[in-house]
Amino acid sequence: MRGVQPTVLHIDLQRCINCSLCRRACPTEAINYFSTGHRTHVIDPAWCIGCDICAKVCPVDCIDEDPSYVPDPAQLEIAKERARAFAKRQHGIKLMRRQRTAAAISAVGPVGAHSRAPSTPQASAEPSTNAHA
Amino acid sequence: MSKLADHIKETPSRRDPPYRPALLLDGAGRAELASKIGDADNYDLLQLREMVQTAPENMEFRKALVSAIASAEYAGVDAFSRKVCEWQDWDVPWSLIMAIARQTWDEVRHAQLATGVLESYGCEIGEYPDTLAGGAPPPSVTGNGAGGPPPGIMSDPIVTLSAINVSLEGGALRLFEETSKLGERIDDPLLARCYDYNWADEVTHAMIGDYFVRELALENPEAESRALRAHAMFEYARVRLGEQQTHELKEFFAEEMQRATAALGGQAGGYN
Repeated sequence: MRGVQPTVLHIDLQRCINCSLCRRACPTEAINYFSTGHRTHVIDPAWCIGCDICAKVCPVDCIDEDPSYVPDPAQLEIAKERARAFAKRQHGIKLMRRQRTAAAISAVGPVGAHSRAPSTPQASAEPSTNAHA
Repeated sequence: MSKLADHIKETPSRRDPPYRPALLLDGAGRAELASKIGDADNYDLLQLREMVQTAPENMEFRKALVSAIASAEYAGVDAFSRKVCEWQDWDVPWSLIMAIARQTWDEVRHAQLATGVLESYGCEIGEYPDTLAGGAPPPSVTGNGAGGPPPGIMSDPIVTLSAINVSLEGGALRLFEETSKLGERIDDPLLARCYDYNWADEVTHAMIGDYFVRELALENPEAESRALRAHAMFEYARVRLGEQQTHELKEFFAEEMQRATAALGGQAGGYN
């Protein structure tokens, strides 16, 4: 988030490959696809809080800032509230997974009853060339 | 029957049954799975990632995670190689057949890489159940049973490209990126490299899908609708969506139903 007045984002439809990563990651669910009438991912600027999450997950870098749009402060607050609710839900899901993990470790032990040591050496521990990270 | 399919003999699977989907495990299968990962319902990619992150020293958790992904790669080889044959019966550009042939080889490479990672854990393919069931649709889908889509729909290039290349492979982008990062975090460079490598292929696969859906749907609104419908149905069945997106999808399906009803002259609206 950049300051009090965020810059909303927009998707370059020519470059977009419709992979849906941005839509699934958006904390305000501001990105429409099935209601656009075409196979196009479109950010509803009224719900965009400028968090940049969509731009970060985009594999083809087709999401850019749209400085021409001036957010309405009242609507922005509503959008932020939606983002908080989203974060709360995500946190709940994470907690549930942690509880299941704790139960699994309790059932099979931290190392696991069936585990065997790796049979072949792993690759050298050079830094990954993870260009997309 | 396609020209290429004429020359390919149907060969029996080396496994019987060919696929052993996790969802169809019997009591004994679930109990065996639970003995390894605590609960058969933990055989879920997001849950397994959390388990590996929390207990990286537990090799069974790692084996389960990579097996779950690897089995889908093997199913991908099955599915996409079928498309190379089947789509010659459709009016599609030859460049699409070539793109899918390339994608098939990508899946082969992914399967080989995953098998290598599993071997480093002392695990073999087949120790864990499958997550997908390859390219041969079950009888209910091919139209021989009740409730499935009409015969041939699963072979329709635009449906497969939209549902599998764009939606499924699009989702795999996140899965591979997160799995690669997990490998870095738990100091498993083989895991990190394998899924970093695969990630780049998935971008290409999603691009292939989107590019050819656009090509096939050019100035053809009906084809574009079919693509969008396939994407919507796939997400509805497989993706955990937020409240707003679920609402958007429901509205989409409601509009589709209205259009279908109108096309049938109102005959399908008799549920009231």
